[in-house]
Amino acid sequence: MNDGRLMRFAREWWPVVSLGLGLVLIVGVVGQLGGDQTRVTLTEMLIRMVVVIATYLFIGNSGILSFGHVGFMCIGAYAAGWATCNPAWKQLMLTGLPVFLREEEYPFLLAVAGGGALAALVALIVGFAIMRLSGIAASIATFAFLAIVNSVYSNWDSVTAGTSSIIGIPQVVGPWEALAFVLLSMVVAFVFQKSRYGLMLKASRDDEVAAKASAVDIVKVRLIAFVASAFLVGMGGALYGHFLGVLTVDIFYMGLTFITLSMLVVGGIGSLFGAVVGVLAVTLVVEVLRACEAGITVGGTKIALPQGAQEIGLGVIMVLILLFRPAGLTRSREVPWPFVRRGAKPAGEPAEQAQPAE
Amino acid sequence: MLEIDNIHVNYGRLQALRGVSITVAEGEVVCLVGPNGAGKSTTLAAIAGGVTPHAGSIKLQGRGLVGLPPEAITRLGVSLVPEGRHVFATLTVAENLRIGGFQRRDRGGAAADFERMLGHFPRLRERLQQPAGQLSGGEQQMLVIGRALMTRPRLVMVDEPSLGLAPMIVDQVYEILLSLRRSDGLTLLINEQSSKRVLQFADRIYVLRGGRIQLHDRASNLQDGKAIMEAYFGFGEQPAAAAGPAALGGVAE
Amino acid sequence: MIGFLQNLIDALSLGSLYALAGLGIGLLFGILRLTNFAHGDFITFGAYALIVPSLDVMATKFIGGWPWYLMLPVVAALVVVMALLSDLLVFRKLRQASAPTLMIASFALGYIIQNTILMVYGARPKAIDMWSNLQQQVTIGELRVPQLQLVTIGATVVLMVGLSLFLGRTSYGVQMRAAAEDFRMARYLGIKANFVIGLAFAISGVLAAMTALLFVSQTGTLSHMMGVPLMLFAFIATVIGGMGSLVGAVVGGFAVGFVSVMLQAYLPEDLRSFRDAFVFTVVIVVLLFRPSGLIRAKALVQRV
Repeated sequence: MNDGRLMRFAREWWPVVSLGLGLVLIVGVVGQLGGDQTRVTLTEMLIRMVVVIATYLFIGNSGILSFGHVGFMCIGAYAAGWATCNPAWKQLMLTGLPVFLREEEYPFLLAVAGGGALAALVALIVGFAIMRLSGIAASIATFAFLAIVNSVYSNWDSVTAGTSSIIGIPQVVGPWEALAFVLLSMVVAFVFQKSRYGLMLKASRDDEVAAKASAVDIVKVRLIAFVASAFLVGMGGALYGHFLGVLTVDIFYMGLTFITLSMLVVGGIGSLFGAVVGVLAVTLVVEVLRACEAGITVGGTKIALPQGAQEIGLGVIMVLILLFRPAGLTRSREVPWPFVRRGAKPAGEPAEQAQPAE
Repeated sequence: MLEIDNIHVNYGRLQALRGVSITVAEGEVVCLVGPNGAGKSTTLAAIAGGVTPHAGSIKLQGRGLVGLPPEAITRLGVSLVPEGRHVFATLTVAENLRIGGFQRRDRGGAAADFERMLGHFPRLRERLQQPAGQLSGGEQQMLVIGRALMTRPRLVMVDEPSLGLAPMIVDQVYEILLSLRRSDGLTLLINEQSSKRVLQFADRIYVLRGGRIQLHDRASNLQDGKAIMEAYFGFGEQPAAAAGPAALGGVAE
Repeated sequence: MIGFLQNLIDALSLGSLYALAGLGIGLLFGILRLTNFAHGDFITFGAYALIVPSLDVMATKFIGGWPWYLMLPVVAALVVVMALLSDLLVFRKLRQASAPTLMIASFALGYIIQNTILMVYGARPKAIDMWSNLQQQVTIGELRVPQLQLVTIGATVVLMVGLSLFLGRTSYGVQMRAAAEDFRMARYLGIKANFVIGLAFAISGVLAAMTALLFVSQTGTLSHMMGVPLMLFAFIATVIGGMGSLVGAVVGGFAVGFVSVMLQAYLPEDLRSFRDAFVFTVVIVVLLFRPSGLIRAKALVQRV
């Protein structure tokens, strides 16, 4: 029956469609109502959303915590920056770049794809070693990876301008461009989690021994998720570079890692819905804290939180969520189907595993 | 001495015990029999504090045990020897034994008991400084029983003492348990899969299946084994709802 | 040859720091299965406890100015309190939590500590003069070795022997080892869970404090992120050595120190700034062949 198939299709894709529609609405409304500063915040939020969704693709399905995704963001950002920034400047400052990058200027989309591709390549190589490790060791290794990227990029002056900046990257990314990539990553993440690879990966997350006994090649499915995730994160990094217009290495380290992880944890580490909600929620909280740090003037005296309250506040919120709501605000579930079918099928997707298990 | 009244224990959404009531009088030997997954290990774990029933009560000489941490329950005189022996493999035999006595107030009594245990289990004396992981199965079983006794319990619970041991060794284990019961005035609560052994040693028997008590009687009344078989396998009944995966007994890794 | 021996002593000295930090981490991992990403920040806290809170670039010593027999216990006590508070406020409620949850919780805790220090002391690294008299060199045969390195190695040996005796000979030590092996069974035998855990945090705190003092003496600087590379290397050490094994943490620490110093000494000039990247690469290669680490320790993999 056409009607039945249509309904089933809608139900199956509902988690993504609902989120997509919701975000389009938010961007439309906020973009219209808000001023320039709001648009800037909105764009940055959406770029982070790309990264968080991509990170969720790996962490949510594999149950392995990764601290290294911001490293891929760095790789993608610089790769794209190399491609699009001014050749005259590059020939002067970035003498270590290969000729095809140093002397040419490439279109934005190609640069973004290139950023993603380089990140994916690195993920393939690094992941080949890391994915064999136990969950805990793998997580530590991803932390080390972040540190390596930071160290290498900080020191490779001829290619990254070291501790100074790469400038002159065309700032072509606004809310709608970022949103497009958010929708793309949502679709990729959703398709993955529904695919057989996603299923196998989730099986290995829930019970590694049983999964192996069912002929799941754990290293392979983890690697696939890792590389796919890195590709999207790399693109997110490329977007970030083309949003900021300037790149330095130190923005891709602890602070950003903490914020993106907190977004995932607050929203719910086991669902796409959680990733999106987490970004929205944490952005809101951070903006509030930032306003509190700026302070309000009451009758001549300025009442403000001290500098650094943002970070501490976010840290405290993270801990509170872990203590009292470890599966996140969404309880790691996808967006529930709002219509109840006659026949008393319970509404909503079956609950995903509430926490990543070891 | 021990009164378990209608306890319900869940592992997540899995109902392991659905209203189990058991009493054990002082000095008795009571056995729980039943197939895998029946809830025997869960019952012992609930008494010892490894899992918490969400309904029902457990009283030791009138004192409620539910909600107390395992270490507190042990100090009240209840000692559990869980399934699978669980020696501390990297600690020596001597250290394993001594651990049971660390929480006791009476240092002299603990030292005396240490010697007494070695007297009951002479083979352990030869291996005092060896890592416990190197002992044979039977020796490990002796070790964990001795270790449990070092806590000076009044009630000793043993979960499947015969698992993985040769029948001759199992005979020895049971002999020792019963002689200790006589000499130390212990009360024993034992899980067993084999109903034959149970009929030899128990005063009273409970048969568990599917998280419920199916049968409860004095061992003397059950000697022909028929009633036990029926309760054990559920002959003459609708097939019970799947009991689910083997109860973890609260001591899984 | 002399050069090599000098490098060896350098390696032992650096390895000692990593081994101490690794021990602090390994202890908590063994008993609680807790990967404490905040350990580096415990170290940072211990280091900053030495000076007066201020935004100055030149640090004014507070506890750092006291004679060593007062300073050591006081700094140790402060870090122990920080560690115990961490357990009380954060980790106690997470006893049953999964490993990733514990990891994130410790990461968040570390982040909070880092940023609190940042708020109080400012972002600029500070210079501090701790035991700089120990920078004087001592002549052993044909070698000239800074006293500080010998003190570092010596202190580490003392701490390791002390820990070893504690674990091996005292009843508390036996209880801790039993709890590390089979926590549940230990509780069934009457061992108080919270006490043993508190003890582990306390010892971890003492180790962190000692690491802080030695590290600050060697580098002469304080920064709010100083603990991060130490923590990372310490974790790498435990992973290489074999997680769950204290011996492994020490072996791993010295191994990482050795590789690091040798690379620093023998890498071509222009690659030297990438030394850390090389160290990590070596580590990853080792893990390719021995994913469970150099020393087979307790089963992290379920035995089927």
